[in-house]
Amino acid sequence: MTETIHVIAPSELDQGLREEIRRVAQATRARRMLVSRVMIALCTVAILITAVPLVMLLFQLIQRGLPQLNWAFFTTLPSTPSLLAPNVTGGVSNGIIGTLVLTAYASIMAIPVGVLVGVYLAESDSKFAAALRVISQTMAGAPSILMGLFAFSFILQALHVGFSAIAGSFALAVLMLPVIIISTEIAVVNVPNTLREAGLALGAKPHKVSLRIVLPSAVTGIVTGSILAISRAIGETAPVLLVIGGGYLNSWQPLNPVSALPLMIYSNAKSEWPSQRAQVWGIALVLVAFVFILSLTARIWASRKQQVRS
Amino acid sequence: MSEILNESIVELQLGHDVAGEFNSPAASRTWYHYVLLAASVVFAAVSIGFVGSILWESLPTWLHHSGTLLGGNGWQTPGGPFGGLAMIVGTLETSLIALVIAVTIGMGTSVAIVFLIPKRFRNIVATLVELLAAVPSIVYGLWGFLVLAPWMYKTVDPWLNSWPFARQIFGPPSQQFGPSLFLAAMVLGIMILPTFVAISREVISVVPQDLIEASLSLGATRWQVIREVVLPTSRIGLFGATFLALARATGETVAVALIAGGVANVQFHLLNPGTSIAAWIATEFGEAQGHEISALMALGVLLMLLSFGLSLVSRWLVNRQRKVLALV
Amino acid sequence: MTDIETSGTQVVTDAVRGPVAMQLKDVAVSFNGRTAVRDATFDVVKNRVTSLIGPSGSGKTTLLRALNRLHDLTPGAKVSGQILLEGTDIYRGDLTVTELRTRVGMVFQRPNPFPTMSIYDNVVAGLRFNGVKKKSLLDEAAETSLRAAALWDSVESRLKVAASNLSGGEQQRLCIARALAMDPEVLLMDEPTSALDPIATLRIEELMTTLKSRVTIIIVTHNMQQAARISDDCAFLLMGEDRAGELIEFDTTEKIFNNPRDSRTLDYTLGRFG
Repeated sequence: MTETIHVIAPSELDQGLREEIRRVAQATRARRMLVSRVMIALCTVAILITAVPLVMLLFQLIQRGLPQLNWAFFTTLPSTPSLLAPNVTGGVSNGIIGTLVLTAYASIMAIPVGVLVGVYLAESDSKFAAALRVISQTMAGAPSILMGLFAFSFILQALHVGFSAIAGSFALAVLMLPVIIISTEIAVVNVPNTLREAGLALGAKPHKVSLRIVLPSAVTGIVTGSILAISRAIGETAPVLLVIGGGYLNSWQPLNPVSALPLMIYSNAKSEWPSQRAQVWGIALVLVAFVFILSLTARIWASRKQQVRS
Repeated sequence: MSEILNESIVELQLGHDVAGEFNSPAASRTWYHYVLLAASVVFAAVSIGFVGSILWESLPTWLHHSGTLLGGNGWQTPGGPFGGLAMIVGTLETSLIALVIAVTIGMGTSVAIVFLIPKRFRNIVATLVELLAAVPSIVYGLWGFLVLAPWMYKTVDPWLNSWPFARQIFGPPSQQFGPSLFLAAMVLGIMILPTFVAISREVISVVPQDLIEASLSLGATRWQVIREVVLPTSRIGLFGATFLALARATGETVAVALIAGGVANVQFHLLNPGTSIAAWIATEFGEAQGHEISALMALGVLLMLLSFGLSLVSRWLVNRQRKVLALV
Repeated sequence: MTDIETSGTQVVTDAVRGPVAMQLKDVAVSFNGRTAVRDATFDVVKNRVTSLIGPSGSGKTTLLRALNRLHDLTPGAKVSGQILLEGTDIYRGDLTVTELRTRVGMVFQRPNPFPTMSIYDNVVAGLRFNGVKKKSLLDEAAETSLRAAALWDSVESRLKVAASNLSGGEQQRLCIARALAMDPEVLLMDEPTSALDPIATLRIEELMTTLKSRVTIIIVTHNMQQAARISDDCAFLLMGEDRAGELIEFDTTEKIFNNPRDSRTLDYTLGRFG
C-alpha cells in the first residue's frame, strides 16, 4: 500500500438519531405492509378485469364462429337472404380471395421498397436518413383511415382508376411500409459490428460486406417484420373501406373492385338478417385465425433467430 | 405489431450506433448505393404524397369554411355546412377515457404478470397478450356491437343512470338507446389494453433483478419496490406504451363507427350517441360528393395533426427522459 | 475454545468468543429439493469481519443470501436449520422480514445505485422506505453514512446529482453508505470488490477495517488474499460429491491460513485448486 488513504473515522450516529429512526420505522411498519398487501391485491384484481372481457371475446369468437365454417362458407359467393329464404347467406369466397389479392399486391409493393429503405437507414447517418427515420416512425402510428384517404385522392382521383384492388393494395402498402422499414432497420443494426469489421478487415468493399455478410444475418429479423406487417394489413378495414368497392365476385384483377374479410364484417354486422349477423362471427374467426397463425409464425421465426445466435 | 413498435421504443431508449460506412468518402458509388437511394426517394415521395394529397383535397374547406369545420355543429349533407366540432369532441372524449381505462388497469395487469404470476406461466401469458394486441380492431368492434352493447344497454346503463349527477354526466335517459360515446370508450379501452400491457410488461420485466434485491434488502415492502424502483426505472418505456395506446385509440375507425351511434351534434353526455373523426369519415365517405369530400378530407387533416402531434410529444418526452436518466 | 454442538455436526474451533451477532446452526439451503449448501454451523462475533471463502459453486453466496432472507423471493427455495439474530430465529421467530432487513443490510457484487435517484436520494432510500420523512433526520443520516463510507468529501457539493455519474468504486461506496444509513447490526457483502479496479478495491478493504467498529461484517469473497487481508474469522466451504456446498472449517483467519485443521482447507489456501 503506497498511498495512505485518508479514511475519516465513522462518527457514531447520535444515539437519539438512531432511536428515532428505529421508532419511526417500527411505528409505520404495519401500515406500510398493509398498503403493500392492498396494492398487490389490486393488481390481482386488475389482471382479472383484463382477462374477463378478452377471454370472453376469444371464447365467443370460437363459440359463435365455428358453427359457421363449412365448405360452402369458404367456396361460395355471398347471397342475400330474403323473406322466403332468411337463412341463405351463401359463403364468403369473395372476401377470402379479396383479402388474399389485396395482401399479395400490397406485399409486392411494400416489402421490397421497405426492406431497401430499412437497410439504407441502418447504414447511413446522413440527414436524409435521419429525416426518413422520423417520418417512418411517425407514419407507423398514423390512423389507417388516412391511408384510405390517400389512396382515394391519388389512385381514384388523380389517376382516375375506379374502385379497385390496386387502390386498396396501395393503401395497405402505405400502411405496411413504415412497419417494414422500422423492423428492417432494427434487424440490420442488431447485426454485431464485429461481423462487419471482420469483413472489412478481409479487404471486402463496404457494400459487399453489407450484401454478403450483414444482410444474410439480418434476414430473420426482416422476415419477422414483414410477416407482422402482413398480419396487420390483413385485418385493417379503414384503409380499404373507402376504395375497394366491395366487389361481389371472386376476382384477381387489380383493376376490378374486390371485397375483403374485414370489410364484410363491417358491412354485415349491422345487417337486419340474423343469419348474416351470425355469419359475421365465422368471418371474424377466420380473420383472427389468419392473424394468429401469422403472429405465431413470426414469433417462432424470431426465437429461432435467438437460438441460432446463442 | 406491438413487438416492432416495442423494439423501436427500446431503440429510442438505447440509441444505436450507425455503421455509417455508407457515407464515408472512401465508399465508391456502386449500384448498391443507387438502389438504396432510389428506394428511399420513393418512400420520401410517398410520404410527401401522403400528406400533400390529403391537404390538397381539403384545401377548399380550409380556405372557405375553416371556421365551420372547427367550430360548427351539425353536418348537413349534401351541401353543408359541415361542422366538425362533434367529431373533435368525440375523438377526445373516447380516446381519453379509453386511455385512462387502459393505463390504470393495464399497469396493474403488467405488474401482476411480471411479479405475481408463477414463472412457468409467464411466457404463455405474454404470448397471449401479444396475440390479443394483434387482433384486428374490427373484431373488437364486432364483439362490442353484438355482445357488449346489448348487455350494457340492459344492465349497466340503468345502473349508471341511478348515480348522483347522472343526468349531467350521462345525459337524459330518453336520449339513450344503446350506442354511446361511453360504450365506444369502453370498447376502445378493452382494445388498447393488450397493446399497453404487452409493452409495459416487457419494459417492467427488464428492470435488473439486483435493483429489486437491493431495495428489498433495505427493508422495502413489495409495493414500495414496485412503486419507488421498478416503475421509475421503466418510465421511458411506460411513456412509450401510453402514447402508443393513445395513438391507437385516436386513430381507431371501425369499432367506433359501429358502436358510437354516429350522431354529428356536439354533446358531452357520455351515454348519448356521438362519433369520432375517423369514424365519421368512414361512415360518410361512401356517399359523399364534392364539397363534402373536401370537408371529410379536412377532418382527415385534423386527425393527421393530432397523430403527428402525439408522435412529436412522445419523442420529445422520451428524449428528455433519456437525458435526465443519463442512461447508457 | 468452545465446542459448538448441534444435531449431527460438531464444530471445534479456537475462534475468539465474544458477544455474538448471528448464529448459524445446521443451516442448509435447497432449491426444489436439490441441496445447494448444508452443514453451516458457526457463530458470527460482533464487530469482526467474518469471511466465507471457497471455490465457486461451494454455496457461499447462497448461504449469505439466506441471512437476510433473500431466498424468500425464489419459489422452491427452502432454508432449514436455525439462523439467529441476537437470539431471535429470523425465519421462525417474531421478526418481520422487513424489520430483519433493516437490521441486516446487504451490499452486492455489482454496484447498483438506483438509476433514477440522485446521490442523496440513494443514500436515504432505505430510510424513506421505512417511513422516515423528516428532512433533518434524513440529512443527518445521509452525512453520517456518507462519511462512514469515506465518500462525503467527494460528493458533498453534488448531492443532487444522478448517482450514475460516479465511478464504479464510488458507486459501490455509495451502496455501502446506503446500507449503513439504516444503521444495521450486520452488513452482508457479496463479493463487493470483484467488479472494481484494484485501487477502488483497496479503498473498500480499508473501509471495511474501519467499519467493523460499528457493524458486524460478513463477506463472501472468492479472493483468498483479500480474505487473509481483511477478515478476522473465516468459514471455508467446498462443494461435496453430491454437488452441495458444505462447511468444512470455521476458525480465525490466522488459523485457517496458517494451520488449518482440514487438509482440504490447506489445499485451498495454498492455491492447489481454485
